[in-house]
Amino acid sequence: MAAQNGEAKRTKVAMRVLVTGGTGLVGQAIRRVVEEQQSEDEEWIFVSSKDADLTDTTATQALFDKHQPTHVIHLAAMVGGLFKNLKYNLDFLRNNIRINDNVLHLAYENGVRKCVSCLSTCIFPDKTTYPIDETMVHNGPPHESNFGYSHAKRMIDVQNRAYYVQHGCTFTSVIPTNVFGPHDNFSLEDGHVVPGLMHKVYMAKRDNKPLTVWGTGSPRRQFIYSYDLARLMVWVLKDYQEVDPIILSVGEEDEISIKECAELVVEAMDFKGEVIYDTTKSDGQFKKTASNAKLRKYQPDFKFTPIKQALKETCDWFAENYDIARK
Amino acid sequence: MFRTNMKVLVTGGSGLIGQAIRMEVEENPKTDEEWVFVGSKEADLRDAKQTKALFEKHRPTHVIHLAAEMGGMFRISTHTVEFLRNNLLINDNVLYNCYAMDVKKCVTALTSAIFPCDSIFPVDESNVHDGPPHESVSGYSWSKRMVDVQNLAYNKQHGCKFTSVVPINCFGPYDNFNLKDGNVMPALIHKAYLAKKNGEALPVWGTGSSRRQFMYSRDLARLMMWTVKEYDEIDPIILAVGPEDEISIKEATELVAEAMDFQGEIAYDTTKSDGQFRKTCSNEKLRKYLPDFEFTPMKEALKATCDWLSQHYEEART
Repeated sequence: MAAQNGEAKRTKVAMRVLVTGGTGLVGQAIRRVVEEQQSEDEEWIFVSSKDADLTDTTATQALFDKHQPTHVIHLAAMVGGLFKNLKYNLDFLRNNIRINDNVLHLAYENGVRKCVSCLSTCIFPDKTTYPIDETMVHNGPPHESNFGYSHAKRMIDVQNRAYYVQHGCTFTSVIPTNVFGPHDNFSLEDGHVVPGLMHKVYMAKRDNKPLTVWGTGSPRRQFIYSYDLARLMVWVLKDYQEVDPIILSVGEEDEISIKECAELVVEAMDFKGEVIYDTTKSDGQFKKTASNAKLRKYQPDFKFTPIKQALKETCDWFAENYDIARK
Repeated sequence: MFRTNMKVLVTGGSGLIGQAIRMEVEENPKTDEEWVFVGSKEADLRDAKQTKALFEKHRPTHVIHLAAEMGGMFRISTHTVEFLRNNLLINDNVLYNCYAMDVKKCVTALTSAIFPCDSIFPVDESNVHDGPPHESVSGYSWSKRMVDVQNLAYNKQHGCKFTSVVPINCFGPYDNFNLKDGNVMPALIHKAYLAKKNGEALPVWGTGSSRRQFMYSRDLARLMMWTVKEYDEIDPIILAVGPEDEISIKEATELVAEAMDFQGEIAYDTTKSDGQFRKTCSNEKLRKYLPDFEFTPMKEALKATCDWLSQHYEEART
């Protein structure tokens, strides 16, 4: 196997982790955690689409041959906002199924000990009761706006189980609620609610205009700071042994309204102007509460970064890095 | 090039349903229709290049997609990764080439194993994605469900008319009569053949009280030919006799014995499992479209199949 050349160049480590999608929001946060933790026995490699097109089996195999990972955190995916999903459901389905199949199958063939993939709360059934939990992923069709993306993500869980039942592999997945942090996608069209708000506040401040928030501000959401998600994903990689997914989120008690979130962003960015709620715009779903009971069973003492601090850090990063931020 | 003729490519053409369609076509040929039946010898559909070459060679206007990595219950449950991946590959290659070659209509055969394991019966087409399938058929079932998802996606993104059917248990000539791997009806037929030949009792697993809907492969063939020509929905359609025509395994066994002219003893091994009591599928949607479709009477269908097996035992899949 090509492994031999690779190994001759590598120092012997207990764990060599390949992180696909390594330059994104979550990948960058994991990089920060890894740099803080400084474990000598570990090597972490962050790759992106520049290193390999994961829809291509040959290119993905070459990536595995080059790095010889013992573990994989699989974050790479074709992603996009609402409008892109609506228009390209087929491409989201096919490309993501291909990416995931290449990574998982090659992880299996290359003897990877553990692979942790990233799902999303948006893949849950459209018609469901709340709070949602890990057992409900497949209990009905997903929302039609992004069904291609959702089905492809659900197939990761199906494949994880298949590899476990047939080959005893420990491939698993996490389900984060809304993530935010440095290196996010701050696009007003494509980005999610928190980075979208930050970008709007930045522009309102710069242009001396009011901040317009869409909707009444009353819907409630659970947010998780990318840094906290990263700490938890590193724990999942090392110590979570189930094949079934685990929701990574603050608890229901830490849900905040969009209004509260906007006020915290305004405070963090020191915006003094007017805040308008455009109530002609849709609020979207009132609640999408996910249960973090499973996480709390494993990690009863895990402390999430207080939301005020997390938002402040992210706003500061955005202001300092406006020119290079993805928008 | 303007084409008025219909050219139908049937993948998995040498299997039970493919052969049944071929028999229908041979008995009722139409001058403006050309039917091409292909099997794995012509192309390995897991391979994108081979699939593309197949489509370029035949340039179909329509496709009936029956090809799949198949197997009996034991193989399906112990090779779940292969059943998932290979069927995902086959289906993706076929549907993609249908799109790339502007195929007007593609009808894929799903399976009644697609339904959620804790369904409330009778199930209908709207229940397909209501929950996970049974663990034992997981890989196979999920790959078939993805066909329905892809059909919808191709329609939304490119306006393609790709659809699917959910056939219930079929039987007929060219079936898989293997005692381990085959479905319940062909296995019963084979057992009756052997029991008659060897002068032994006909062994049946379980009490015989479980109930199933059975359909003759020739009827399914006629319905699939109707689907490829006339059914315009993207959502799947169940092709089945009605719930009122469900029979018990005991009744099925007695009908098989009669068709085989088997006079000996039927022995029910009640230590063996009965399996699921009912798996009833609704055929309301089919009846809405074809209220007058007449299914071949069971006695006639079984007689034809038993006669076929007796005459072709050497080359049959046993």
